[in-house]
Amino acid sequence: MLPTTQDNTAPLAQRLSTGIPGLDEMLHGGFLTQTANLIEGAPGCGKTTLGMQFIRQGALHGEPGIILTFEQFPEQYYRDAASFGWDFRTLEEQGLLQVIMSSPEVSKADLERFNGRIEGLIARIGAKRILIDSLTHFERMSQDPAELRSLVYSFLNALKREGLTAVLTRESSILLGDGIDQGSDADFSFLADSYIMLRYVEIESAIHRAIIALKMRGSAHDTHIRQFEINSEGLYVRGPFVGREGIMSGTPQQMARSFIKAFIKH
Amino acid sequence: MRIENLTSRVYSDMDPALLSFVKKYVTSFIKWDLLHFFHRNPHTIDTVENISRYTGRAPETVQRELVELAQSGLLEETHMGKMTIYALASSPKIQAQLAQFVTASLDKQFRIRATYHVIRDMRES
Repeated sequence: MLPTTQDNTAPLAQRLSTGIPGLDEMLHGGFLTQTANLIEGAPGCGKTTLGMQFIRQGALHGEPGIILTFEQFPEQYYRDAASFGWDFRTLEEQGLLQVIMSSPEVSKADLERFNGRIEGLIARIGAKRILIDSLTHFERMSQDPAELRSLVYSFLNALKREGLTAVLTRESSILLGDGIDQGSDADFSFLADSYIMLRYVEIESAIHRAIIALKMRGSAHDTHIRQFEINSEGLYVRGPFVGREGIMSGTPQQMARSFIKAFIKH
Repeated sequence: MRIENLTSRVYSDMDPALLSFVKKYVTSFIKWDLLHFFHRNPHTIDTVENISRYTGRAPETVQRELVELAQSGLLEETHMGKMTIYALASSPKIQAQLAQFVTASLDKQFRIRATYHVIRDMRES
């Protein structure tokens, strides 16, 4: 059973629904407004899909959104969205969505100057949400971890200044398990207001997907490691892994029978 | 004489607005590609290096074309510190003309005529 929102979390009005069944419950109603929310995971595990679903949810409910892509062409988003039955082209034509292709250095510089192009696009559609896909590309801006953190910190503050609630994806080089990410020294998790990790998990020779909210500044949240799936309608979060331990290792073990008896069955 | 006849025949078959667009903006095949790129990705805001990467061409090849497209008003050039940024002009009129050109490019006969113009223009320059 998911936790209730009977605590000191912000009222629902100050939260933005992700549109992802099960995730809003994990986050006690959604992301807090004007926050930076980091989604980290291995390639192909669903980070961008989660972000697109967040943007679509806003577009359908009067909160226009922007997708700022540093790698994929807008066409790719239209195609990916269409595979879930989401018509991003029409949303763009209706002024509810804008897909911007740029690079981290240009986006950052543009947001920092007065009356920049991105600021103009945000104002034109009245954007409330933004998907940054992906933060990983900032890592080429500096080899110095301290300087990199400063660059990202400034970028995130610029997004908040524009009144945006951001979902930022970041690729993890770890495919399975909880090993150390050898790909980069950069750690953006403490700069983000919330930190959600997506993982592949091997159970009985099959790959499953796991999601956990590791951090949510200013709010309580569900701390269970839950299963999630991606079907023809997008991503949805299911219940916690039951009877397994070591989920984040990528290869969970069945919990000892006595432990199950003591803590699960009773 | 024969070339002039061919030229007048090719041009007389083209929509005047499209002909004017081609003459003004499509003066090389790199520009042709760039115009299609900016039509497909109208909210691209980036440097020569990145745009050349997106279009799969060498930066030195793309740079001159981007500068000329900015001079002709199809792109907007902005300087941010050491960076020079290019983006599609925000004018709805120019964007509509670009869309008309891209749509017309789907037609083989139009492509033949426009190609003729581009080659002629490249020879003259």
